[in-house]
Amino acid sequence: MSGGIARGRLAEERKAWRKNHPHGFVAKPETMADGTVNLMIWHCTIPGKQGTDWEGGCFPLTLHFSEDYPSKPPKCKFPQGFFHPNVYPSGTVCLSILNEDSGWRPAITVKQILVGIQDLLDQPNPADPAQTDGYHLFIQDPTEYKRRVRLQAKQYPPIV
Amino acid sequence: MASEDGTCGHPPGHAAAAPPDWNAAPAAGAGCGDPEEDPWFQCCVCLELLYKPVVIGKTCGHMSCFWCVHKAMHFIRESHCAVCRQAYKHFPSICQLLHHLLIKLEPVEYKRREKEVLEDEKRVDTYSPQIIEFLNSKNNNYEIDGENKPEESKRQSPEESSSDGNTVSEHLKKVKLEDVSCALCKELLYRPAVLNCGHVYCMSCLPSLDDGTLKCQVCGSVHPGNFPNVCLDLDHFLEEYFSAEYELRREKVQLMKGETNREGSSSGTSCKDGRGRPSNKENCAGQDNLSDVHIGVGCDSCGVFPIRGKRYKCKDCTELIGFDLCEACYNTKSKLPGRFNQQHTPDHRMELDDSLLVSSVGS
Repeated sequence: MSGGIARGRLAEERKAWRKNHPHGFVAKPETMADGTVNLMIWHCTIPGKQGTDWEGGCFPLTLHFSEDYPSKPPKCKFPQGFFHPNVYPSGTVCLSILNEDSGWRPAITVKQILVGIQDLLDQPNPADPAQTDGYHLFIQDPTEYKRRVRLQAKQYPPIV
Repeated sequence: MASEDGTCGHPPGHAAAAPPDWNAAPAAGAGCGDPEEDPWFQCCVCLELLYKPVVIGKTCGHMSCFWCVHKAMHFIRESHCAVCRQAYKHFPSICQLLHHLLIKLEPVEYKRREKEVLEDEKRVDTYSPQIIEFLNSKNNNYEIDGENKPEESKRQSPEESSSDGNTVSEHLKKVKLEDVSCALCKELLYRPAVLNCGHVYCMSCLPSLDDGTLKCQVCGSVHPGNFPNVCLDLDHFLEEYFSAEYELRREKVQLMKGETNREGSSSGTSCKDGRGRPSNKENCAGQDNLSDVHIGVGCDSCGVFPIRGKRYKCKDCTELIGFDLCEACYNTKSKLPGRFNQQHTPDHRMELDDSLLVSSVGS
């Protein structure tokens, strides 16, 4: 039996998000050139947490859902080359709750994904690095790491 | 450096730093959560009102729609609960008590869901059970066929309330106490637990069913595995909806517990584990040798999915999904109708079938 429920679930996710979402976050499905909405790709913004080096940044994140969602998690991507120990050079976020074989559960909502990634920004997991640059600086040169994080936050100012 | 498909990072402080609703989700069941924010009985997979609800009774007590559970089940290995990732192997039957409760509680929305799901089912020519009998009433067949169902339930409810000698406030309630009573003690369910067959009991009533295996008193099905957990979505609903009655039941059950000096719930579960139920052996069985798995084939009697070992297939059922039994069910009983509305009868011919066996497909 195929005939997935991905689109139905995403329509409900969108409804729930519009009703209520955490302050400073943005999440909306892609609008095509002809004005139709593509529920399978969402463009989101994650604000850096206040009181951390990430504060002031509004980081663009794209969620790619498959027809197997929510049995399978969406792929979550920052822009290519995003600086963070647990983000691959391609921009793909590496997080246990986004891994089908470890932490993903179909009950996890878009809201929980975004808040989870916001948490990850300031709490990287050095046990499971995904890029050399961010990982080495985090381990070997905390001062330079901090500077790079702050620099990156400035590169992604809030869109007013 | 992990490859992009490899195991991913799990920040150490991640669980502690998660927002409150995150942590609440596994405990309270994503369906209810904060009632002001989420409606009662929301499916955590499709995020819509539960339709033909199925409770993963085996261990955790979380629930989803019939199709949301079935579509997510793993074709070769054991499946995992959408809320808590606990492993389970049996596709549970629809919980009829919840089904009827939802018809009464949300008649319009439930009807809309029914139409929606039926259209999907027609598209793939595979159906969920269409006739569901009323719980605890033997001759009251309830047809859920096409258009006549919700009208019927609407017509019934005024009659019921006028004939009932209940209080005024009871009249105003869409759901009656008898709709949510325990199959054993017949009182309001207190800390309800749903068996694999879909029948609902108070947690405190379950030990009375325990005779080496947990056998349902209503349908005689053996519950696979250990004692189920409390279905918290239903429990929270009852506690709020019937607050006075629920409080009385709590007092009564706790009094009984005190008298018999016996723990009814969680600790009871763990004592039972030691007795070596079939499931314990099952769990120890080699998980890695999958050669005896019939890919994507489930047993229409006990619900085990996929079937391991011998698979009996019906030669006479014409439905697309077919009718299959595992060896244990083939040897005991095959009186139950199929889980997908197949018109199977006991005089149909069954034969051994290895066509989807991992070892034969692989070679």
